[in-house]
Amino acid sequence: MSAIKAIFKKELLQLKRDPRLIGFIVFMPILLLILFGYALKLEPEDVKMAYLDEDSSYFTNLIKTNIWMEGYFELYEVDSKAEIIEEIRSGRAKAGLYIAKDFSKRLSENDQPHLQFYVDGTMPSLTTAMKNKSSSITDDTVTGNMYFLDADSKNVVIAKEPFIMDTEVLFNPDEIETWFFLPGIVGVLIMQVALILAGISVVREKESNTLEQLIVTPMSKSQFVIGKTLPYIIISLFEFIFILFLGWAVFELPVPPASYGYLLLLALDYVGAMIAMGLFISMISQTQQQAMFMAVFIMIPSILLSGLIFPIEAMPHFIQPVSYLLPFTYFVEIIRGLLIKGTLIADLAVDYLALFGYMTLFTVLSIWRFKKYLN
Amino acid sequence: MMILTQQLSKTYNDHSVVDDLTLEVQRGEIFGLLGPNAAGKSTTIRMLAGIVRPESGSVYIDGKDLRKSTDLVKKQIGYLSQHFGLYAELSVLENIRFYADIYGIDDEPRLIYLLKKYGLSTFSDTRSEKLSGGYQRRLALACALVHDPKLLFLDEPTAGIDPVTRKRIWDIFYDLRSEGKTLFVTTHYMEEAERCSVIAFMNHGKIIAQGAPNAIQNSLSDHNVYALRSSFDQQMLKVLDQHKDIVLLNQLGHVLRIMTKFSLQEDQLRSLIQPYIDGEVILQRTEANLEEVFIALTQEKEI
Repeated sequence: MSAIKAIFKKELLQLKRDPRLIGFIVFMPILLLILFGYALKLEPEDVKMAYLDEDSSYFTNLIKTNIWMEGYFELYEVDSKAEIIEEIRSGRAKAGLYIAKDFSKRLSENDQPHLQFYVDGTMPSLTTAMKNKSSSITDDTVTGNMYFLDADSKNVVIAKEPFIMDTEVLFNPDEIETWFFLPGIVGVLIMQVALILAGISVVREKESNTLEQLIVTPMSKSQFVIGKTLPYIIISLFEFIFILFLGWAVFELPVPPASYGYLLLLALDYVGAMIAMGLFISMISQTQQQAMFMAVFIMIPSILLSGLIFPIEAMPHFIQPVSYLLPFTYFVEIIRGLLIKGTLIADLAVDYLALFGYMTLFTVLSIWRFKKYLN
Repeated sequence: MMILTQQLSKTYNDHSVVDDLTLEVQRGEIFGLLGPNAAGKSTTIRMLAGIVRPESGSVYIDGKDLRKSTDLVKKQIGYLSQHFGLYAELSVLENIRFYADIYGIDDEPRLIYLLKKYGLSTFSDTRSEKLSGGYQRRLALACALVHDPKLLFLDEPTAGIDPVTRKRIWDIFYDLRSEGKTLFVTTHYMEEAERCSVIAFMNHGKIIAQGAPNAIQNSLSDHNVYALRSSFDQQMLKVLDQHKDIVLLNQLGHVLRIMTKFSLQEDQLRSLIQPYIDGEVILQRTEANLEEVFIALTQEKEI
């Protein structure tokens, strides 16, 4: 116990006296914020759309076929109107389409039936793109077949739209970009602290040749690893809470009280995964520079490919598996689900498990690598 | 017996670094392990201190198997590495307190005592990186002694320091021995060998001679050493250097020390030298010094 305390205290002292690291923790986030402000927007494709067509007539098939031909949305059918929203909430679909039973009847009566189109609002860049693409629903190839001659008029086609499309943006109706980025930024900052600090923690002892001195002492491997990681776990957890609080206080980021428990679970899960990864980097590096490079090598793709900035749906297909290899992707999924969409915990269980898996994997790898180093 | 090793071996990348090493170190000795660079000294001391795991063979410290009772043994040994193992950002007091905490020693007066003993009291709040090399060495030693070990391993403790400081360090070592501690020292300075109670020469991973310094010095039975005091030229050096029975030419000021095998008689050597000398050949038989013994032993093994 005394050995763990000794390492713990020493880590904090070293951190306190290293101005480089403190600058890193403070200035890097500011840089990232500027970077995200100028983030590009891309065109997504193969966006999943849940639909329910209660009318199922010639006209509604015409609408669906036209959407399908456009090649932007990928349609699949669900059983109820509530289920459409549920599919979007869980993240299985990004858009939804509901056509009521009396669509053809009202169309034939020239009564301008309504068509309900839903869009997921949590990723504003994707939301905008989806709204633009939805014009295929109402374009001329569809509507041209739906004009009926007015019985009262001899020759003029009535310039009245055959039906009206209602678009509803779900979950982030105001499409606030900050809400889109902020939850993810929490993860980026944690990634920095955890990955970089844990990443240089062991290799620093290698470089200063203090590791050799420590091996001579009766301290055990587990005491060393616990004493090493505990300070960074605690710092990361505090940073998590602090940034979330800042997001809530300054940017009015919604943090529903019901999600507190799950957020804490996420913090533990994610911080654990990042620290374990950092520790592994540290075990395999020979110098601090190497560890830094490796950490950056993981951070850059995490920021770009996790869906934090660009929707994963908008990425080329061969890139998408890379996204799902990154632990950060699961974090983004969970925190957006919890804070903005109110996704059911059951739908996020897989993401929680993925993070837990990474934590276990890298802890095991680190211990294996540490043993190997000592021999 | 403080240290006993049996058939200790270690290879790195198919290259044998320590080969079948058997050593005995008695309690209360200052045991010196000597040898050229890359002889395997550091690997040996690191295996004995439990940093590097030997490939085969065993190490007993104070009668206990290092592999089986690692924790027990580790409490009884101290280790001063070539690199000191200090935390640069931490102060002198914080460094020694850290090591005390690692060993679970809650004894502030002992820390104060150690700092005072090694002349570090006035620097207790100075960061260790700000100390001079000599004081860093003292601090490292104080840290290695924090748990009052019975046995102290010192890897090249006097490398690269001036003779005055070196003498002070050795005074500290004698002082530690008088407290009943056993010291295991590696060095490549031959002149330090005489300060040890027992020395072992190591070359290519093997011990080639072991014993008290003067016993080793007198152990050379098939070589002679001559001192040539006449003035000579480079041409002569070239000729002597190529002679198969001349093992070593060692210039010390105006004196040339020549080590020969028994097969080369004194008058043969004289006639070999004569053509290159104006006037009388002043040649005397003399005692080999440790360095010469070591070189002779090394070459013997290679032939």
